[in-house]
Amino acid sequence: MSTIGKAETSPPSEVGRRRVRTGSILSTALEKYGLLLITIGIAIFFSVLPATSETFPTSANLKAIAGNQSVAAIAALGALIPLVIREFDLSIGANLGLSSVFCASALGSGWLPLLAIGVGVGMSLVVGLTNALLITRLKINGVITTLGMATALQGVVIWRTKGNALVEGIPKSWTKFGGGTFLGMPNTVWVLAVVALGVYFMLQHTPMGRYLYMLGSNRGAAQLVGLKVKLYTGAAFVMAGLLVGLAGVLQVSRSGSASAAVGEQFTLPALAAAFLSGAAIRPGRFNTGGLLVAIAFLATLNGGLNLAGAQTYVSDIVNGAALVVGVGLAGFFARQRGQTQDIDLGGGW
Amino acid sequence: MARPGESGAVASPILRAEKVSKSFGSTRALRGASLALGRSQIHGLIGGNGSGKSTLIKVLAGVHAADEGHIEVNGVTFDARSFTASDAHSAGLRFVHQQPSVFRDMTVAENLAADRGFARGVAGRIKWRDVNAHAAKVLERFEIGLRPKDELLTASPALQMMVAVARALQDQEGTEDGILVLDEATAALTGPEVDLLTQALRRYAAQGQTIMVVTHRVEELVGFADRITALRDGAVVAAVDAGPLTHENIVDLIVGPDGLSDDAGEPDAVIGRASDPALSVRGLSVGRVRDLDFDAYAGEVLGFAGTVGSGRTTLLRTIFGQQQRQAGSIDLDGKPLDVNSATQAITRGVAYLPEDRGGLASFPDMTVAENLSASVVGSYWGGMRLRSRKERRDATDLMRQYRIHASGPDALLSTLSGGNQQKVMIARWMRRKPRILMLDDPTQGVDVGARREIYKLIRRAASEGAAVLLASSDFEELAELSTRVLVLVNGRLGASFGTDCDSERLHRAALAGTGEK
Repeated sequence: MSTIGKAETSPPSEVGRRRVRTGSILSTALEKYGLLLITIGIAIFFSVLPATSETFPTSANLKAIAGNQSVAAIAALGALIPLVIREFDLSIGANLGLSSVFCASALGSGWLPLLAIGVGVGMSLVVGLTNALLITRLKINGVITTLGMATALQGVVIWRTKGNALVEGIPKSWTKFGGGTFLGMPNTVWVLAVVALGVYFMLQHTPMGRYLYMLGSNRGAAQLVGLKVKLYTGAAFVMAGLLVGLAGVLQVSRSGSASAAVGEQFTLPALAAAFLSGAAIRPGRFNTGGLLVAIAFLATLNGGLNLAGAQTYVSDIVNGAALVVGVGLAGFFARQRGQTQDIDLGGGW
Repeated sequence: MARPGESGAVASPILRAEKVSKSFGSTRALRGASLALGRSQIHGLIGGNGSGKSTLIKVLAGVHAADEGHIEVNGVTFDARSFTASDAHSAGLRFVHQQPSVFRDMTVAENLAADRGFARGVAGRIKWRDVNAHAAKVLERFEIGLRPKDELLTASPALQMMVAVARALQDQEGTEDGILVLDEATAALTGPEVDLLTQALRRYAAQGQTIMVVTHRVEELVGFADRITALRDGAVVAAVDAGPLTHENIVDLIVGPDGLSDDAGEPDAVIGRASDPALSVRGLSVGRVRDLDFDAYAGEVLGFAGTVGSGRTTLLRTIFGQQQRQAGSIDLDGKPLDVNSATQAITRGVAYLPEDRGGLASFPDMTVAENLSASVVGSYWGGMRLRSRKERRDATDLMRQYRIHASGPDALLSTLSGGNQQKVMIARWMRRKPRILMLDDPTQGVDVGARREIYKLIRRAASEGAAVLLASSDFEELAELSTRVLVLVNGRLGASFGTDCDSERLHRAALAGTGEK
């Protein structure tokens, strides 16, 4: 009743405008935190579902999920940076595999862990640099370059492992780190926290990050305001290589082994999470916070389904559908706001 | 129900839009706008940026579904909430939009066939001979200087727009039930091509074609449109017969009684001509540009007039290091300006605002503040992090200084009107206090009110000590703003004018020598 009284005293347009504004605040909040709310909803669902209520909401299970997903999340951060400039890095998984295999084999030959880590990360960094040079100097399309790179790396990894899993000689201290906890949280989660903070800081609080977003928004305009387009395009791929290399050596410490099959499983989930990052926290922009939410969303969904006894093919279907629906919703929200550009790939697509 | 700005009525309209409303998020783009088009009339739809005219056109095209309202075409009534693009097409509505929807990397013939379908032969084979022959006929009819097999991206924006117009019209001749809607179609066209287009449009109107023109160029409507509907803030403020209207009357309709009036002419910027030129160009040859000499002084607005293809844009791009010159020298403050990238040019104090704002200047999905600081991001680096609070504060100041209308520094650039986006682009460069400010058609697609404000900004840039190089296809703009105007004809320096120049003399000079084609 009070609203009617208000309508009589103030001009109708004013009331209309106010109503629209509260509506838009609500929808803005929904855009930002919708995916997070859905994730919490899913967690609650699996906590009360009879099949999983015993196993899902235990701290052991949640820690296991978090620990396992940390590596995937770091790989996804590696995919995120090129995606900010609207480039796909399809070599994420293969490069991760390369890092883990070379790290494991160095450890197996009795190298010091620190050196072995350096070998793994260094290999991936070189791959990132090669991608960067091929794309910016030889002007080869990024998707083609990284697809070719992924295929070639797969070959290198198989050659190095001769198709076997590398498990021997990996020191206890290193696997202990991957399985261990600090202040009650898995060590890998702490590593992720540091890396994610670094990526967030770079993208959000440094000129470099701003330049990357400008490149992603309009390459031509970025060039004409004086940006070194090639330099920053290359830098994005180099940073991707660095992060993926780190994910690779962490994977060795987490699983205590490395094989030619490790890498490929990371590419699509990493890209999926990076894409979904545009649907949360800062909608319409691929961002670090959104990426962590996206990882949590996919991990909760898969972890729950896993415990509920679902076949693996179910989680494949769910993952695929979640990606398409999530990105579709983000685009829908963007259009609702009158934003002309949907979340899609810019140049060359 | 006599509304204030209404004169006459449209008898048996072919198209009626009734009380159409549309909101985007919290923005009410249209508030019960109505429109009536008389058969075989030329109808002008006018209004400032953000007045809702683009939205109205998009509702009519079935691109946006309205929130309420009705659309009636040829006596058939549609609900505007469910009016689709195919409804619009089958009702005979044909659109040519501001951004020509042409396929740039395809040939002219393919572009024309894209709309009407390809002539097919045995087994569905495309009869290229027929397709090309048809294209040749259409090109001849619209007097477009292209061949059917030319790739469209090799043509100037103006020619591309003309192909888009031709594509919409190609099958319309003689059909009296069709309605052609031109949405800022002339924005990229220069004088003679506009004339060519308007002549053709008059011919079609005389044959029974109904035409609606949405334009910012008031002078095009005088003596051309039969009737005018004016929108302001999403509502119709006038629907009048255009016959007796003068240029000033129409400007008043767009701007409104309390807007900036047309005679807000500023005192001319003081021509503080220093003894030495800021920019000195000698014997420059690049692309179409041949053997060009000129000096530009700090504090002046040096205009460059010329038709499309005269080399205006090439000249500016070369100074900005985007094209390699074949011969000649460019000196800035007496020192050679040998730059081959935008980065280097900017470091030397050169700023360049390209013609194609959407494609080459704006970051549409970033905020106003981010767009404003695009040229100075590094200066916000505080050693540890970007000083984003200072950035936003500066942006708020700039928005006030440059009269940028937006909900705030965090508004996405794409939510601003074209004129306000352009002010953001100008402010972005001005804040660097450039030595040379180069503007390529800065008011293209900008409404009268915002245009006035941009003119003030350009004058201010000059009075603050920049040498402003203004290339424009709008001769009135050049005459009004420039201290001197150089006319480029086929890449060579034609006539030059001082403050005494007027648009007609410029126009004539620009046309001189282009007749041989």
